[in-house]
Formats: sequence, structure tokens, C-alpha cells
Amino acid sequence: MTTLEAPTLTIVSAIDMPARRATSPAGIAMRQFLKSPSGVVGLCLLALIIVGTLVGPHLYRVDPLDLVGAPFMPPDSDAWLGTDYLGRDVLAGLIYGGRATLAVGAVAALITIAIGLLIGSLSGFFGGVVDVVLVKITEFFQILPPLLFAMVLVTLFGSKLSTITVAIGAVSWTSAARLTRAEFMRLRDLDFVKASRAAGASDRHLMLRVLLPNALPAVIVSATLAIGVAILFEGGLSFLGLGDPNVMSWGLMLGQNRNYILDAWWAVIFPGMAIFLAVLAISLVGDGLNDAINPRLRRRS
Amino acid sequence: MVALLEVDQLNVSMRSEAGRLVPVIENLSFAVAPAQTLALVGESGCGKSMTALALMGLLPEDFVITSGRILLEGRDILSLPARDMRALRGSAMSMIFQEPMTALNPLFTVGDQIGEVLRWHRGLGGAAAREQVLALLRAVQIPAPERRIDAYPHQLSGGMRQRVMIAMALAGKPKLLIADEPTTALDVTVQAQIFDLLAQLQRETGTAILLITHDLGAVGELANEILVLYAGRCIEAGASAGIVAQPRHPYTRGLLRCVAHLQLGQAPKSWTDLGEIPGMVPPLGARGAECAFLARCAKAADVCRSNPQPILEPIAAGHAVSCWCKAAVAA
Amino acid sequence: MALAIHLTRQIANAAALLLAVLVLNFCLIHLAPGDPVQVIAGEMGGASADVIAALRTKYGLDHSLMEQLAIYLRNVVTGDFGYSYYFNEPVLGLVLQRLPATLYLTSCALVSALVVGTFLGVVSARRPNGLFSHTVTVFSLAGYAAPIFWTGLMLLLLFGSVWPILPVVGMSDVVHRKQGLNYVLDVAQHLLLPSLTLALVFIAQYSRLARVNMIDALSADYVRTARAKGLPEWVVIGKHALRNTLIPTVTVAGHQFGNLFAGAVLVETVFSWPGMGRLVFDSILRRDYPTLMAVLFFSALMVMAANFLTDIVYRLIDPRIRMGQR
Repeated sequence: MTTLEAPTLTIVSAIDMPARRATSPAGIAMRQFLKSPSGVVGLCLLALIIVGTLVGPHLYRVDPLDLVGAPFMPPDSDAWLGTDYLGRDVLAGLIYGGRATLAVGAVAALITIAIGLLIGSLSGFFGGVVDVVLVKITEFFQILPPLLFAMVLVTLFGSKLSTITVAIGAVSWTSAARLTRAEFMRLRDLDFVKASRAAGASDRHLMLRVLLPNALPAVIVSATLAIGVAILFEGGLSFLGLGDPNVMSWGLMLGQNRNYILDAWWAVIFPGMAIFLAVLAISLVGDGLNDAINPRLRRRS
Repeated sequence: MVALLEVDQLNVSMRSEAGRLVPVIENLSFAVAPAQTLALVGESGCGKSMTALALMGLLPEDFVITSGRILLEGRDILSLPARDMRALRGSAMSMIFQEPMTALNPLFTVGDQIGEVLRWHRGLGGAAAREQVLALLRAVQIPAPERRIDAYPHQLSGGMRQRVMIAMALAGKPKLLIADEPTTALDVTVQAQIFDLLAQLQRETGTAILLITHDLGAVGELANEILVLYAGRCIEAGASAGIVAQPRHPYTRGLLRCVAHLQLGQAPKSWTDLGEIPGMVPPLGARGAECAFLARCAKAADVCRSNPQPILEPIAAGHAVSCWCKAAVAA
Repeated sequence: MALAIHLTRQIANAAALLLAVLVLNFCLIHLAPGDPVQVIAGEMGGASADVIAALRTKYGLDHSLMEQLAIYLRNVVTGDFGYSYYFNEPVLGLVLQRLPATLYLTSCALVSALVVGTFLGVVSARRPNGLFSHTVTVFSLAGYAAPIFWTGLMLLLLFGSVWPILPVVGMSDVVHRKQGLNYVLDVAQHLLLPSLTLALVFIAQYSRLARVNMIDALSADYVRTARAKGLPEWVVIGKHALRNTLIPTVTVAGHQFGNLFAGAVLVETVFSWPGMGRLVFDSILRRDYPTLMAVLFFSALMVMAANFLTDIVYRLIDPRIRMGQR
């Protein structure tokens, strides 16, 4: 279980809580999280997937881009899960593809949250003209369908994995910004913040040391879910032929094999299943975190 | 006089998470005669609202009636099927709640919400229903009812909303009106108006009222009888004049002294701390067989500690009290 | 009067946002690697030197950026969104021709998602810990996590090969053309799988949302009042609780129209549905930038129309907003 506890423990340090983890809010949240069955199931599933993509290549030494046999070889032949339309090993694709897919998801989610935090916190903290301008910008990005916008960006700037990651991050930050803004506005008027302000705390201190730690729980939940969304986006882009052809990913496998679904269902079903399980695991973790952090929702469930 | 409502040895429990039954109301018995008012008095957490909801058949899911009978016009309503119970609610007996703001649905006009009662209980619709709603709004003294009928709850003041609630409760011509802290959420001046309105409507319609309140001072004029509830148990009951003039239970005396202080303009430090009565109502599950008021009672004696709470014992005509030290207190 | 001011403000806001989308499009063309004229002509290599020269003149590519922007905006205002060299047609006509099919698909999916999702949520809220409620929760999690194009492919596999009872390609039967009512039925049949695929994701989300809000509403004071009035249970749920439950769903549905549209792009690609999504796929494949840009513009327009509609529905449901109290 030690590996499973790692992500939650980083939260402790991130919000600058005292080391007494049994009584700290993060410690309480963690114990609450471990009580929620869906959260634990999700965490186990996610750990399994991550371990599989990390350890898998050492156990199953097949290059995912190599042509290992005839095209459309069904599972249970030489290749365990069959070969795709070019004769590449599907299982190797799943193992290596998971790395790219999960990495794109994580980095894109980081970009999303970084932009969302920046815009939302400035907007919610300063209010006034700053808020009006930033809200307008957010509103503008909201009317562009995120996936479509990402498609346009990738089409224009090329299907490299890095471009794809940045494009996904750049189009899906609006909800994180709205959430952060709402949290900052709510917190701004609370007594302990007013007290800090009255005690002469600088804006910088207030934002980073007072408001941010308190807004973070909600943002962490939204960041978790953003990883899932980013993975789905990567899949969608690859499906439309915008995946990076030089890097194996689950989305790319789906996109390249979808026209041959009637000849080789295994090359389409398995990568789709992998995306499904990864996103499911992530949203279960998100749910568990949400229940642990938000007492109002906890009561409901 | 034949009682309209008779509650006989009612016991209500809450099902805890562990599945244990925790008593909320214990052996409660009382009766209300037609056109009379009974006031149920006590602090928050004494089981007043739960009594009201038990009467209406609207207890929350984790609350159960473990024993006892509730007779309305001689009919045991606890044995009624759900459909018949529903037919009684809103017609034979109706209820008004503490918070007129949240008790009204914000998305429908007041006319619509009053009209519903007419439609489902009296089969009135269209113009006839509207006419009747206007009459009801007039009866509860809402100015310009022709305009208010199409207003939404958020457009009305708190007092006005409570008048709407009362109109809604009267729409089914109830024989029993349960008023659960009807004035708590309102300004003091409006409180008096609402009490006056209730008294007047009772004279006009002959409905019986079960008034639930924590304010013993306010009920003196309106109520014919008073029942003081503490931790789910009746500790003193009787004619209202007798209880206000000569309270016997230390808790009742404390409640009355709070009122006196309030009237002198000395607010208590907080509502849980009644000033004259230190401490709080014991929480559910922390109530033993002994007198529930023991921990807060200034007059507590050894007899109180070594014996279970005494049964309600008559001490004068129409006045009963449950206290080991009633003689000492009276002195 | 307040409504008139509100409307004016909304329209002005919408116009500003659309202008911003056009400016964004313009910037993207110039930011993209390569010569803008190649971007405009599409990277198919089919454009001759004459065409290139004509394009340079038309878009004023020899002038300053600001002048080029002005020319671009003037063209758009006169309905000229450029020319698609792949489809050999003006882009505007191309988009408008594909718009109805996408609107059928999205509206059909949206309506069924709202109805089914709310129904599932409301029923499961009646017994939050019952079997049905848990089933809905699991379904909703799965529906959210399943990639929409993958769900589509699975349905395609199921109904196209394993159990071929439904059409899986296109919008109507092109071999046996139907007339009148038969044509409508034919289209409805073709619409079934794509709209089901698209709706599933949103059914998952709305059922979850409706469940939580229904549970909240059922513990609200006004529901207790409705019960105390002796109303039948279906009136308590279907009128008093449901209306309050719908408010958050409407908000979310309105905000998600962009996702609905993006989902349609994927679904249309799977089922060869001849809408804007299919157009997007083709123009991505052919690097047909003018078409892609026009679709981005029109999708933004559709999102704003959806927001506008949401605003109206919201006002119809909630009098507090209608009267400017909130």
C-alpha cells in the first residue's frame, strides 16, 4: 500500500501542512479517502496500469513499431493479443502506448491546471478590471468547443506529441479557471483572510500562503479529472488521424486500426478498453478525493 | 368534551447507523379538543418537531414510531394505509413550518401553491379555485391579494410568506392545525401579528391548534393548555393559566424566568444557554432512566439520582408534573 | 424593459466574441508554420501559380498585418469565408449544407440525454442506496470513461457485423432512395446509432447530476410542505422536486454544448454521418484550412446560440432570475 499512499502524501507537503498527519486536514482527508470503496478501487486500478506500463517493457521485449508478423493475426497466435493492420504487436502497443498516453494526460492536465490557477486566482483575488478582462478571456475560450479547437491547433502546428500535449492543455483550462476564481472569491471574504490582510500581509503572501492552500483541495479534484479528460482528448485527436505517428499511443492504435475493425477487432477493442479503464480509474480516484475533501458531498453518498 | 386529537403513550425512536434504536420521544400522551389550542413547549432538541411530524406521518426515514396510538376523531391514524393518510394531510390536519422562506417552493406562484390544496382535496380548479385562493389570502389579511396571488415567494416579506403558509394550511379546512414555531424566523412585531391572526382564524373556523414553540411567554394568551417537553418526555402539563402562574417543574420555572428576562430586555448569552438554566438538553442516546433534567437542575436531590424519572402526577385540577421535588419546588 | 437591456447587452457581447473568434482565426493562419498563402490554399500542392497570385491579391498579403485583418474581416462580413480547393466550393455553402445533419444529430442526442438522464437520476434518487441507484452510478461512471468513438465503434461492430439489424453508415439509404414518410423513417433509422452513441456520454453525466440534485431536493423544506399538503407523491416529485432538480442540469447542458459538438465530430466520423463533423475530418485529412477555420467559427456561433437558449430556458424555469433577483 505504500506506493498507493504516495500521491496523497504529496498533497500534505503541497499545502504546507504541519507534519502531524493524523490531525492535519490532509491526513483526515486521506483516511476518509481510504474509506471510500470507489476511490480505493480506482487507486488500485490506476496503480496496476502505471506499474504495467513501467514494468511491462522489461518483461515483454517487443518493439511496438516493429512488424513482428503478418497483418491481422488474431490473438492467441505468436502475438498474444494479435497483430494490427501492419503486423505490429498489439500487446506491445498497449504496454508502450500506455506510457505516451498517460504522460500526455498528466502533462496536459498540469498545463490546464497551471493556466486555470493563474487566471482564476488573479481574477478572483483582485476583482475589478482585472476580473472583468480575465472573465472575458475565459468566456471567449468557453465558446470554442475544446476538442475542435485542439484539432485546429494540431492540424496547423503539426502532429508532434509535444504539440498535442500543449494543445490539449491550452484549450481545456476554462473550468479550472472558473473553479479557482469562485474559490478565491469565496475565501477572500472569510474572516481569517481579512484578519491576515488587516495584519499587513502582502498580496503575494495572501495569494500563495493564505488563499491558495485553502483553494487547493477543490483544484486537486479538478486536476485529477483533467487527466482523464486529456487522455480522452488524446484518443479523440489520434482517432481523427492527428496522433503522432512516431510515438505509439493507445489513441494512435485506435485511429490507425479503426478502418480495419471488421478484419481485426482486437486491434481496436483492446486499446479502447485500455483508455476506458485508465479514465475510469482516474475518475474513481477523483470521486474518492471529492468525497474525502468535500464533506457536503460525503454526506450525500 | 370529546377530544379531536388523542395521543396515547407515543414512543418514537431514531435508528442509529449501527441499527440501534435511540429513544427520541418517550411515552408521550396528550389530547386536543376542538377549537382549543395546546402549546408544546421546550428547547430545541426536545422532540417537539418530531412529535408534529409523527402526527402528520412525515417522520424522516430513520425515525420510527415504536409504540403508541394517535387518534384523530377517534380513528387510529397510525394504522391507516399511506393513501388514506395522504388524504388526511392538508385537509383534516395541516401544518405550517418554521421557515416560510424555504418551506415555500421558490419556483411557483403563491396562488399556484395554495391552489394545489384546493385541487387535490376539494376538487376545485380554474376560476373557482382562484376565487377561493383570493378569499383565503384576504382571510389571512394579505393586502392587495389580486396582485399577491401571482407573486413568487421571493417577492414577499417574511411575515407575508408566513401568512401565505397559513392560507395554504387553512385551504383544506383542517380540524387540526399544527404550527411548528410559526414565528421564530420573523421580527418581533410580526410575531405578535401572526399570533393574533392565528387566534382570530381559530375563532372564525373553529380549528384546533397544536402550537409548537420554545417561547413560553408568547403562548400564555393563545394557548388553553400547555405541555412542557424535555428530552422527549412530558415533564409538566396543564391549563395554561395555572402553569404560567404556578410552574412546578424547575425546568418550566427556568423557561418562564428566561421570558421575564427577555421582557426586561436582558437577552440570554445564547439560545442554548438559557441564562437561568445552565447546560444543554442531553443529546439523543445520552438519556438514562433518571430525570433527564438532573444534570442541569439546581434543586436536584439524592432522590432524583437514585430513582428513575417519576410518572406525571396530578398536583391540582388540570395540572400534572413529573418531578421528585415538586413539593419542595412549590414551597 | 430590463429584458430589453439584457437582450441588447447579450447581443453586443455575442458580436464581440464572434469578432474575437475571427481575429483568432486570422492569427492562427499567420502563426502557423509556412507561408499564409499556402495555408489559405491548403497544403495539397494543387494550387497553381496563378491561383497563388490571385490569393495574394485577394487577401492583400503584401500589405501590413492590420490591413490584411481588415480585408479578412470585410470578406467574412460579406459572407466570404474563403474557397475550399479540396471540395472545389465556397466554404460558406459547404458548411451551411452540412449544418442541418449535425443539428439533427446533436439535438436528438441532447434531448434524449436530458430525458433519459433526468429520468434515471430521479428514479435512483428515490432509493439512493438501492440496487437501481448503484446500477445507475456504475453505468454513469462507465459512460463517462468510455471514449465516445470507441463506444461508436463497438456499436458499429455489434450492429454492422454481429447482429446487422440497423444501418451503420450514412444518413439515408442511397441504394434504395425513399420518398416522403418512408424517407423520414429511413433517416430516423440511420440516426439511431449515432445519436445513441453521442447521447450515452451525456446520459451518464445528467443522470449523476439529476441524482445528486434530486436527493437534495427531496430533503428540502418545500418538498416537506408539499407532502404536508397531502399531494400525491407523483406531484411532489414530478412538480415540486423535479423543477428544482432541472435548474443545474439545464445550466450544465448549456455549458456543454461545445463538448456535444466535438462529440458529434467523432461520432459523425465513425458512422459517416454527413454533417459538419465529417467535414472537419475531411478537411483535417486534406489540410483544408479555410474550411476548418469556418467550422471553428460556426461551432462558436452554435455554442453561443445554445448559451442564449439556455438563458431563456433558465428564465422560464426560475422566476428569481426572470425577475432579476439573482
